[in-house]
Amino acid sequence: MSNNSAKNLFIYGSLICFIALIVLTIDTMGTLDKRAPEITEKVDAGKKVWHKYDCIGCHTIFGNGSYFAPDMTKATERKPKGYLKKFLLDPRTIKPDAAMPRLGMSEEEADDLLAFLDWTSKVDTNNWPPKPVLAVATAGRGSGQGQMLFQKHDCAACHQIQGLGGTAGPDLTNVGNRRPDIDWHIRHLKDPSSVVSGSAMPAFANLTDEELKALAEYLTTLK
Amino acid sequence: MKYQSHQISLNFYTASVLLFLVQVLVGIIAALQFMWPDFFILNFNTIRTLHINALVVWLLMGMMGATYYVVTEESESELWSIPMAQFQFWATVIAVTAVVAGYIVMGLYPQANMEVFGTRLLNEGREYIEAPRWADVLIVVSVLLFLFNCFMTVLKTRKFTAVQGVLLGGLTFLALMYLPGMFYTKSMVKDQFWWWWVVHLWVEGSWEMIAAALLAFMLHKLLGADVKVLAKWMYIETGLVLFTGILGLGHHYYWIGTPKYWLWVGGFFSSLEPIPLLLMVWDAFRTTRETRAPVQNRIGLYLTVAHAIFNFVGAGLWGVIHTLPQVNKWTHGTQITTAHGHLAFYGAYVLLIVAIIYVTLPSIRNLKEFNQSRGFQSFWWMTISMVFIVLSITGAGMVQTYLERLLGLDYVTVKASYNLWFWIFRAIFGVGFLVGVLILVKDVLSLVRRPAS
Ligand code: HEC
Ligand code: HEC
Ligand code: HEM
Ligand code: HEM
Ligand SMILES: [Fe+2]
Repeated sequence: MSNNSAKNLFIYGSLICFIALIVLTIDTMGTLDKRAPEITEKVDAGKKVWHKYDCIGCHTIFGNGSYFAPDMTKATERKPKGYLKKFLLDPRTIKPDAAMPRLGMSEEEADDLLAFLDWTSKVDTNNWPPKPVLAVATAGRGSGQGQMLFQKHDCAACHQIQGLGGTAGPDLTNVGNRRPDIDWHIRHLKDPSSVVSGSAMPAFANLTDEELKALAEYLTTLK
Repeated sequence: MKYQSHQISLNFYTASVLLFLVQVLVGIIAALQFMWPDFFILNFNTIRTLHINALVVWLLMGMMGATYYVVTEESESELWSIPMAQFQFWATVIAVTAVVAGYIVMGLYPQANMEVFGTRLLNEGREYIEAPRWADVLIVVSVLLFLFNCFMTVLKTRKFTAVQGVLLGGLTFLALMYLPGMFYTKSMVKDQFWWWWVVHLWVEGSWEMIAAALLAFMLHKLLGADVKVLAKWMYIETGLVLFTGILGLGHHYYWIGTPKYWLWVGGFFSSLEPIPLLLMVWDAFRTTRETRAPVQNRIGLYLTVAHAIFNFVGAGLWGVIHTLPQVNKWTHGTQITTAHGHLAFYGAYVLLIVAIIYVTLPSIRNLKEFNQSRGFQSFWWMTISMVFIVLSITGAGMVQTYLERLLGLDYVTVKASYNLWFWIFRAIFGVGFLVGVLILVKDVLSLVRRPAS
C-alpha cells in the first residue's frame, strides 16, 4: 500500500465512521425519552442536587462513576423512602459505622434526590443490574412462619443473618442474645421509634398480632 | 538549546511531572480511605477528583510540551509566537490552581458549590469533567491558543509532515470532543450519553491518534528510521484506531437507558480495538530490529517500546476482557473497571509522556551523555508496582463480580470484608509506585536544570 492510499483510507474511513456515529446518535436521541419516565421539576431539582454534592465521586449510577459506594440506579427500589431520607440527612446517626459522611443537605434537597433516584430506577436499562443468577440462599430462608415473614417483608434488604443481607440496619445473626424479650420485638416492629428513639427502621404496623408474635419469636431464636 | 521555543516544552514537562507526583500522593490517600474513610480532612470524593483531574491535566500538559517540541523540530523553525506560548503556559497553570482550590473549598464546605447562571461554581459533579463551566471556557481558550500557535508555525514554514498532520489532527479532535461535556441536560441518560463522548472519544480516539503520531516521531528520532515507512504504518494504525474506536463508543451504551442495538454495535467494534494497539507493538519492534544503528538514548527507546507493549496490555487486553455485553453485564461498574482504567492509562499515556520526555529532554538540553540509570530505576519501580496494583484490583473485581453480582451479596459486605486484603495490597504497592515517581521527578528536574555538556 502506498502512503497516499493509507492516508486516504485513514481520512475517509474515519469520516464514514463518524458520520455513522452521528446517525446512530440522532436515532438514539429520538428514543431516550420513551425509555424513561417523564422528568418533572422535582426530578430535575434532584439531579442538580446530585451534581452539587458530587455524589458521583463515591457512587456509580447506571454503573458509571466511582466504585467506592453502592450503585444508585435502583436505590429506591428495595428500601423505603423514609429510611433513605434519614440516611441522606445524617448517615452516621442511622448507621454508626457508615462510610458516607454527613453532607449537610436540607430536607427539601433530600426529597428532590429521592424523586431523582425514583426516576433512574424506572429507566429501561436493558435489565441492568441483572438479578444474581447464582443466588440460591437468601437470608432467613426456611420454613417456620417467622422465617417466612422475614422473607416476605424483605427484612434482608437492611439486615444480615450470617453474612447474607443488607447492611443498613444491625446484623441480626445473634440478636436473640442481645434482645431476648419477645414483647420488646413486638413493640419495636409495630413502631420502632417508640423503643429506639430516632430509629430509621420502617414500622411494620400492618402485621397481625399473630404474625408479629411469630416474627418476634423467630428473632429471639437467632443466637 | 537549538530553539528558544524549547524552553516552553521544558516548562510544560516540569509542571507535568510535579502534577504527576500530586496525583500519586492523593491516589495513596484514596487507597487508604477504602480502609479508613475518615483518614484525611477531605472526603474520598474530593480526593478522587483531585487524583483523576491531576492525571488528565498532567498528561495534557505533557502532550502540549511534546507538541511544541515536535512542531519546531519538524518545521525547523521557532514557534509562530513564543510570548503567546509562554502566556498559554502560565494561564494554564493559574487556571489549574484555581480549579484545584475550588475543589478543596467544595470538599470542606459543600454548600459553597452554589448554582451560578445555571451551572455549579466549584465542581460540576461529573466524573473527570468536574471542572466548573468557567474553567471549561478557560481550558478551551488555552487549547485554542496552543493549537493556533502550532498551526501558524506549520503554515509559516509550509512543511506539512505526516507526523505533524496526525498529531495536530488528534489535538484538534481532542479540543472538539471537549465540547459535548459543556452543556446541561435534564435527563441523566443524555447526560451520560454525551459524557462518554468526551471520555471515550478522548482516550480511545484522539489520544490514541496523538500516541500513534508521537510513537512514529520517537522511533524516527531515536533510530533514524525511514520516515516514509513510519508514516505509512502510522496512517494504518490511526485509521484502525478510529475505525474501531469511534463506534466502539457503543460499549458504554449497553446499560444506561439507550436502545438495545448498541449491544451489537459496541460489542462488535470495541472487540476489534486491540488490533491497532497490537500493530503499534509490532511497529515498535520491527523498527527497532530493522535499524541496527547504535542507540545512544537507550532509556528513551526502552520507554517507547514499553509504552507500546503496555498500551496493548492495559487498554487492549484488560479492555477487551470486559467489553462484550455478555461479560460487561456482570462486571460493569466493578473493580474490574478500575483495574483496566489504571493499566490502560499507565501503559497508553503515562509511559507515553514519560517516554517523550526522556526522548526529547536530552536533545533540548544538548546533553550528549547523561546518567540513564535513574530513568531505568524509576521505570521499574513504577511498572512493577503498577502491575501488582492492577493484579490486586483485578482480584478484588473478580471477587466482587462473583459475590455481589452473581451471588447477590451486599456491596458493603464485599467491600469491607472479602476485599480487605486487596485494598491493603493496593496501598502497599502504591507506595512502591510513589518511589518510582519520586526518582522520576528528581531526574527530570535535574535534567531540566543541568548545565549543557
Ligand atoms: C464520600 C463518599 C460518599 C459521598 C460523597 C456520597 N456517598 Fe452515599 N454512600 C457512601 C457509602 C460508602 C455508602 C455505603 C453505606 C456506608 O457504609 O456508608 C453510601 C450509601 C448511600 C445510600 C444508602 C444506600 C443503601 O442502599 O442503604 C444512599 C441512598 C446514598 N449513599 C446516596 C448518596 C447521595 C444521593 C449522595 C450525594 C448527595 C451521596 N450518597 C454521596 C459514600 C458516599
Ligand atoms: C429500611 C431498612 C430496614 C428494614 C426494611 C428493616 N429494618 Fe430492622 N432495623 C433497621 C435499623 C436502621 C435498625 C436500627 C434502629 C433500631 O434499632 O430501630 C433496625 C433494628 C432492628 C432490630 C433491632 C436490632 C438490635 O440489635 O437492636 C431488629 C430486631 C430488627 N430491626 C428487625 C427487623 C425485621 C424483623 C424486619 C422485617 C420485618 C426489619 N427489621 C426491617 C432498618 C431496617
Ligand atoms: C486507550 C486507552 C484506554 C484508556 C486510557 C481507558 C480507560 C478507561 C477508564 C478510565 C474507564 C473507566 C471509566 C470510568 O471511570 O467510568 C474505562 C472503561 C471501559 N473501557 Fe477503557 N480505556 C482504554 C481503552 C479501552 C479499550 C481498547 C477497550 C476495549 C477493547 C476498553 C474497554 C472499556 C470498557 C468496556 C469500559 C467500561 C467498563 C464498565 O462497564 O464499567 N477500553 N476505560
Ligand atoms: C500513574 C498511575 C495511575 C493512574 C494512571 C491512575 C488512574 C486512575 C484513574 C483513571 C482512576 C479513575 C477511574 C477508575 O477508578 O478506574 C483512578 C482511581 C483511583 N486510583 Fe489511580 N491511578 C494511578 C495511580 C494510583 C496509585 C499509585 C494509587 C494508590 C495506591 C491509586 C489509587 C486509586 C484509587 C483508590 C482510585 C479510586 C478507585 C475507585 O473508585 O474504586 N491510583 N486512578
Ligand atoms: Fe471506552
